[in-house]
Amino acid sequence: MPRNGSPARLVVALSVAAVLAIFLLYTSIAGGTPSLRPSTIAGHTGQVSLAGRVVGHPTGDAHGAGLRFTLRDVKGRATVPVLYRGTVPDLFKSGRDIVVDGRLRSGTFVAVPGSLITKCPSKYAPKHSSN
Amino acid sequence: MPDLGRAALVTAFGLLLYATVVGALAAWKRRRRLAASAQNALIAALVASAVASAVLLTALARHDFSFQYVADHTSRELPLRYALTAFWGGQEGSLLLWLLVLCGYGAAAVLTTRRVSRDLLAWTVPVLGFVGSFFAFMLVFVSSPFVTQRAPADGAGLTPSLQNPYMAIHPPMLYLGYVGLTIPFAFGMGALLSRRTDERWIVATRRWTLAAWTFLGVGQLLGAHWAYVEIGWGGYYAWDPVENAALMPWLAATAFLHSVMIQEKRGMLRVWNMVLVALAFCLSIFGTFLTRSGVIQSIHSFAQSPLGGWFLGFICVVTAGTTVLIVARLPLLRARTKLESLVSREATFLYNNLLLVALCLTILWGVVYPLLSELVRGQTSTVSKPYYNFFLHSFGLPLLLLMGIGPLVAWRRASLRTLGRTFLWPLVAAIVAGAALLAAGAGSSRIGVIAYTFCIFVLSSIALEFVRGTRARKALGDESWPHAFSSLVARNRRRYGGYVVHASVVFLAIGIAGSSAYQTVREQRLGVGQSMTVAGRQLVFRGFEQRRTPNHRAIRAVVDVYDGGAHRIARMYPGKNQYFAEQEVSNEVAIRHDLLDGSDLFLIADQVNSDGSIDLKALEKPLVNLIWLAGFVFVGGSLIALWPDAREERRLAERYAGAMARA
Repeated sequence: MPRNGSPARLVVALSVAAVLAIFLLYTSIAGGTPSLRPSTIAGHTGQVSLAGRVVGHPTGDAHGAGLRFTLRDVKGRATVPVLYRGTVPDLFKSGRDIVVDGRLRSGTFVAVPGSLITKCPSKYAPKHSSN
Repeated sequence: MPDLGRAALVTAFGLLLYATVVGALAAWKRRRRLAASAQNALIAALVASAVASAVLLTALARHDFSFQYVADHTSRELPLRYALTAFWGGQEGSLLLWLLVLCGYGAAAVLTTRRVSRDLLAWTVPVLGFVGSFFAFMLVFVSSPFVTQRAPADGAGLTPSLQNPYMAIHPPMLYLGYVGLTIPFAFGMGALLSRRTDERWIVATRRWTLAAWTFLGVGQLLGAHWAYVEIGWGGYYAWDPVENAALMPWLAATAFLHSVMIQEKRGMLRVWNMVLVALAFCLSIFGTFLTRSGVIQSIHSFAQSPLGGWFLGFICVVTAGTTVLIVARLPLLRARTKLESLVSREATFLYNNLLLVALCLTILWGVVYPLLSELVRGQTSTVSKPYYNFFLHSFGLPLLLLMGIGPLVAWRRASLRTLGRTFLWPLVAAIVAGAALLAAGAGSSRIGVIAYTFCIFVLSSIALEFVRGTRARKALGDESWPHAFSSLVARNRRRYGGYVVHASVVFLAIGIAGSSAYQTVREQRLGVGQSMTVAGRQLVFRGFEQRRTPNHRAIRAVVDVYDGGAHRIARMYPGKNQYFAEQEVSNEVAIRHDLLDGSDLFLIADQVNSDGSIDLKALEKPLVNLIWLAGFVFVGGSLIALWPDAREERRLAERYAGAMARA
């Protein structure tokens, strides 16, 4: 083994420490956003990311009072109404799987404007995000 | 036909298995003829996988829907060029492409190194054979492209967003990159297995690594450009898991390309290089796994996806095997020399490596975070853009700065005096530029100003290197300036090619910083004749135009762009296409490039309203075109570094003549 006090070791140790420090700093500030489904969202009041399938007919004006639609579990029956403003991706329509950020307010999921992302109908297609 | 394809795959599998088993036996027992037969098996496997690929391509070209793969990924109406690109449009075809490219690389590496490094190849061939066997096994037993069915009347077609010229070039480029990383990995492991742990495996694979790395880089830039002009949200990179999957091995390979220079020059970092090459390889497999398995898109189908399990198993086997091998060979890998000073070329390379690997691992953490949080806390959490941006700034900006410092610091130990002399001018240039930027109002983004100041520092230190080198060559003989310059580059291709690549990274950084930190976004609902302003330009909505083609209806908004006053500088047509058969809408953005300042005016027809109005989104993205310029400079620099150099070959041949004689 190299002798003690080798600068290379010092560098490695210091950088590992620095990386860990930055990491802890970051995770303590932000952390991740929980990903939920309509069936698991009940009780969450903070900002979450909600994934599900669009069912029924979306109504309203995304650039006006807001687009209203219902999101259902991709494999399940639980649903939640969503209110969304901002850019609507091309692939958005009834039957598509989407992810949207926002928070639950008195039973309606109020989305962060412009956070709607549609998942690809084919899993081999590239992304179709709209952020 | 399908039988021929299946037979070819089984043959390829058999040949690769033979290369693995017999190759290992030959290396173990030191049987020269057996080793040669294992090498030939690897080359023959290329022929077999080429036959299988030809069968699939023929079926795609003939719209032979009795092939399930063809029916699933093409349709009768699909033009021939897109029918052929469906080769890599699906999982089975992609696996076949992996195998074909792997056998191609393997055969080429065997043919080019078999004369000079026979002893190294002995164990390299079985490693290549092992990786190839895995893919051939998958193709034969798990996910065959030659499954047949009763031909349906028509196929399912290719998603409209994939019917795009980029589809022909972007995936193959990425695959050439991913798969190419197998070569340095196989040689590294071959060196460990044969206990020939000097730097010859690195020299033998230098060009392969560089080529794979270039392909991977170009593939990603092409993907970014595709996203930018076609997907139409105004961005080019979204930290999507699949995008990250390509970025991670590229970062690891970047670290590897740098750290091998330390081993070549100073005999240090031997363990680290082995770890890096294994990391880059594992990440490239992981990338393929992420792209193809859908683990991240649908986390809950993880256990049910057969392909995902196999790949994960393969990654585990490779990781475990590599770890055991490196640990077993630790005594052989001990460094000949040690770091003498924290201010030296070696040290800056070390910092560069730590930052690159840290960035790579934090991205990996972000990608697998949903899986880990589900395992640990029972609830899936994701990290998004702020997480990645935070680490890009924390690690990327110091990396950028190091790019200007590293190449100019002396080997072994640099004194403060020489440092001052070397960096005086770049430092002055950076400070002046920073002050000028602040005066010009760029202070709105602190990160942006820091990035630009660093960029100027790096660019001026690169320019200074070229000037110093050219001057030195001129002083040697009385050549003309251009001649001195070209002979400088020609005699040190690797070094100056590297500088050109560094310059391209600076362009990339300028483009990214400009288009993200200083972009202007405006959204507004406009009736006919109404206008909005973005970045000093006035946009007037004139109304809609419509056009019908056999398969879609095109709606275009007519938008006139005025340059402040009454002078019209452009008419732009953002809009939407409605495809009848697929019942899909696609955004057709309008982009106006300003070649003078490198900026783009990017218009999106966000929503077409029934009352004849439009919700128009306008983005002004300064300097974004430098990103694409960076791509060309990157390829140019890589080509300079890759170009065969007879002088270097001679030098190496002399250097290793002794080693060969002993072998």
